[in-house]
Amino acid sequence: MTHDRSPEARAPLTELSDAPRPTLAQRVGSKSVAPWIFIAPMLVFGAIFFILPLLYAGYISLTRWNGFTAPRWVGLGNYDYLLFTDPRFWDTFWNTIYFAAGTILIGVPLALVLAYAFTRAYGQAVWRSIYWLPYITNVVAVAYIWQFLLDDSFGLVNRALDAAGLPGPGWLTDPSIAMTTMILIFVWMQLGHNLLLFSAGLAGIDESYYEAARLDGAGERQLFLDITVPMLKPTLLFVLITNFITGLSYFVLMLVMADVAPQGPIKVTGLYMYEMAFSDQRLGRAAAAAYILFTVVLVVTLVQLRVFRRGGVEAH
Amino acid sequence: MTDHTHCIRTIAAALAASTALTGAALAQDGGTIQIATHYNQDQMAPLLACFDRYTEETGVEIEFQQASYRDFLQTILTARVGGTAPDIYNIYSIWAPQLASSGTLAEPPEDVASWIRDSYGEGTVGAATINGTLYGIPTELSVYQLFYNKKLLAEAGYDGPPETWDELKEIAAAITEANDQGNITTAGYVYGPSVANAVHIYYAQMYNAGVAPYSDDFRTTNFTAPDSVNIIARQGELFADGITSNSVTTDDFPAGRAAMMIAANWQKQTMQEAFGEDFEDTVGIAPIPGDGGDPGTMLYSFFWAVDSSSDMQAESWDLLRWLNEAQGDADLSCTGQMLNDLGALSGNLSDLAAMPTDDSFTAPFVEAIESGAAASQPNIWQAAENDRILRSYIEQVWAGTMSAEDAMEAADAEVSAILSEQD
Amino acid sequence: MAIVQASHRSAILWRIAKYGILSLGAIIMVVPFIDMFLGALRSPAERLARPPVYWPGDPQWINFKRVFTELPTLNWLWNSVYITLAVTLLQLVTSSMAGYALAKYRFIGRNMIFRTVLGAQMFPFFLFIIPIFFILRYFPLAGGNGLDGVGGSGFLNTYTAIILPFAVTWYGVFLMRQFFLTVPDELIEAARLDGANEFRIFWQIVLPLVVPGLATLGIFVFVYQWNEVIWTMTITRTAPDLQTLPVGIYLLRGAFTEEATKSLQQAAVAVSVIPVMVTFLALQRYYIRGLMAGSVKG
Repeated sequence: MTHDRSPEARAPLTELSDAPRPTLAQRVGSKSVAPWIFIAPMLVFGAIFFILPLLYAGYISLTRWNGFTAPRWVGLGNYDYLLFTDPRFWDTFWNTIYFAAGTILIGVPLALVLAYAFTRAYGQAVWRSIYWLPYITNVVAVAYIWQFLLDDSFGLVNRALDAAGLPGPGWLTDPSIAMTTMILIFVWMQLGHNLLLFSAGLAGIDESYYEAARLDGAGERQLFLDITVPMLKPTLLFVLITNFITGLSYFVLMLVMADVAPQGPIKVTGLYMYEMAFSDQRLGRAAAAAYILFTVVLVVTLVQLRVFRRGGVEAH
Repeated sequence: MTDHTHCIRTIAAALAASTALTGAALAQDGGTIQIATHYNQDQMAPLLACFDRYTEETGVEIEFQQASYRDFLQTILTARVGGTAPDIYNIYSIWAPQLASSGTLAEPPEDVASWIRDSYGEGTVGAATINGTLYGIPTELSVYQLFYNKKLLAEAGYDGPPETWDELKEIAAAITEANDQGNITTAGYVYGPSVANAVHIYYAQMYNAGVAPYSDDFRTTNFTAPDSVNIIARQGELFADGITSNSVTTDDFPAGRAAMMIAANWQKQTMQEAFGEDFEDTVGIAPIPGDGGDPGTMLYSFFWAVDSSSDMQAESWDLLRWLNEAQGDADLSCTGQMLNDLGALSGNLSDLAAMPTDDSFTAPFVEAIESGAAASQPNIWQAAENDRILRSYIEQVWAGTMSAEDAMEAADAEVSAILSEQD
Repeated sequence: MAIVQASHRSAILWRIAKYGILSLGAIIMVVPFIDMFLGALRSPAERLARPPVYWPGDPQWINFKRVFTELPTLNWLWNSVYITLAVTLLQLVTSSMAGYALAKYRFIGRNMIFRTVLGAQMFPFFLFIIPIFFILRYFPLAGGNGLDGVGGSGFLNTYTAIILPFAVTWYGVFLMRQFFLTVPDELIEAARLDGANEFRIFWQIVLPLVVPGLATLGIFVFVYQWNEVIWTMTITRTAPDLQTLPVGIYLLRGAFTEEATKSLQQAAVAVSVIPVMVTFLALQRYYIRGLMAGSVKG
């Protein structure tokens, strides 16, 4: 853009001194023009892949469209259908909430306890690498790894439970626990990530608090509950809420697992939206579902911002 | 499962081959026709040889694309949306209404259409017809029947297949074995993990009971009919009684861990590979057990269709006709040869006549087609979506979280709403 | 004295508990990978035995070779490498440029742009799948399209369609800005006084100072992109030649329904996991730094 402006056209405005006129190269490389060149790729990209899609998706959501014949304007019909008529949408919504809530209820306390032990242990690089393996593994691999582990009769997990004289649930096949299994697998994937976030927060707690408490005869359990947890509140809030938002938006694991698990119980709204769009060619309705789910994510995010400001997390 | 088992040996070769074909296409000027099927390179072998011959004779290059059955419809639709659709595809008949209503399918020229009507059985032509318009050339026919493992039945003291549902239940209960944890290790009866293994079985049982799953105009369902509710309730009983479970699937039948299932004849090749020399002594085929009336069942069909956005439409129909007529002194057409090698049945009358179909596995299927016992699967609107909805309700009955009445009522409401969308 | 002894004993107990908890967790983290690895080595006979043999008596190492000879793994691998490197490189360029502008220049709208960068991170990816798919498909003048965006197939079935949506990430810009903030202004001013133009300052003076930042962003993007499934799958469904390792393995799942072929599937899964593990283990300290910079300390 800046290249198009000819130096002559702007010369009278900028050149009032006796200094020689700057060349085009000098002008482009000047302090006032350069930042725009630096930021141009991001702005162009933001226009095409951020703002345009948001508007476009908004438009699609107001139509009935299969992707190749002309879209038909239906106004708010898709939203109306999803919210008030579709028996499935709310099922998937509550599944989504169950999943997101489950991942934090199980995942966060686990990560916290492990991080507490981790920050006080030798060999941190080794522990860290081990706990990070699942997080850097692609979700297709994760899904297949667990399909084999959780096979009802012959998977390692149920064989181990059997050896211990325990019953072997149908982890992926029993509709009443399939979603809980998704939560557990997701927690397994995310544990290393949360552990690291907590350990950073723990490292920020001054050791002198612990020393003082130890002198007063406090045990490890008391140290954890009286010092660690309160001091860690900002990190805790951050982890809780970002995990919740991630959970609301997540559906790839369920998509890949849909071949083996029962249909209804693991269908979250994101997956429902994806199927609507790419299996049933209901792009308008899918775009509306995406916007409804996004509204929920947005509300949670705004609550997060408020809580963070009160909870002492800066820069958010 | 309608998912044809894919041998993977040659997928890498397929990829290399398709690249090579693309490269060769640049050198010729007869144009290139892209053909997509769900058959893999191994299964396609007879057709691929024909493609080469056709290229030699006419200079038209042919490029083969494979997509797995589970992803096939989505792949075509995505390709269509993306403007990258192949010229010819081999589609499952129930996908046709959705594709036809969006203008995806090209109508055959009049001479091809009349040739189809002359050369294929009436039921099969119907499978490729939507609202009175014929859209393609039928290929593979699949029929559902009861598969039973003769050896497992014999071990439990039964020397023949069940004739009624009550017998089926009794035999299955006698065979089922569970481990200490209560998980089934040998199943008397199995359903499967895919849509087809819930929904198609239900349809087949419906026709067996003499009730069509949909009304004649395909705008309402008969899901709530007493026979329908009864079929689903009985399925639920198998689960409730521990005779089958979600832990075991139709994949366990070729592994010898399941005694009975309702499945389609395209499984022949899978069974032959799994049981080898014992195939005929192990796999038995019988009519679907019901309450003792005339045995009915369901058949479905694939057909060759041409994409309406193709710029090689005339050439594509020429190629298809060539592929589906016996060439030279061959008994079978190229398509017929491929289906024969698969152990599948053809809707082409002369191909079917030339196929050896009197072995103990195939004969009952052919009998069901020829006697008219097998009804064609209805080409309903948004079939894939409806099947998925129906499956989720059937699964709830299996899981015991819904009664058969409630589930079928809810499925009827949802599916009827979708069926009433069509103009 | 009693108190000291008690706390001494509790310290020992705590130490046991600490390593006990960590070890138990570590076993749960690692065993699934071992299970996959053992599965890849199992022979068909061992798989079909009832119950199946767990420990492979005759390890089928050949499965790891078959992954490359019988599946299009080399093609997948090449796509994974190509796409991941292209996205990583693009993001390093775009993020460092934009991050530098936001950190070190004052210009009209800077604060608004920065707030947008922060805010835009809240928009989940699922919202963009449908519109971006069609934007790429109807992109004017791309892939046979006319100015009106129809006529051809746009960017679909090209590497561009897989790569372009990830060319810039708001998070990358934000992260690089944080790193550029640590570069002293005096250094830049001194270079200006020496007559260097802005691009030279950026390229020759500032950028070398944020190499750790680039490494951090690089490893971040690498891990993310290598494991990306949903977009790549959506866009390459009709283009098997462009599929990456995870997507290819997923879409080929129909080939592995028979018990005897499952060892090969597990071997393919192992192959998809190894490159990213090696990269990560080599560069993990940069990863951790980025995580800290991007989260709590932000």
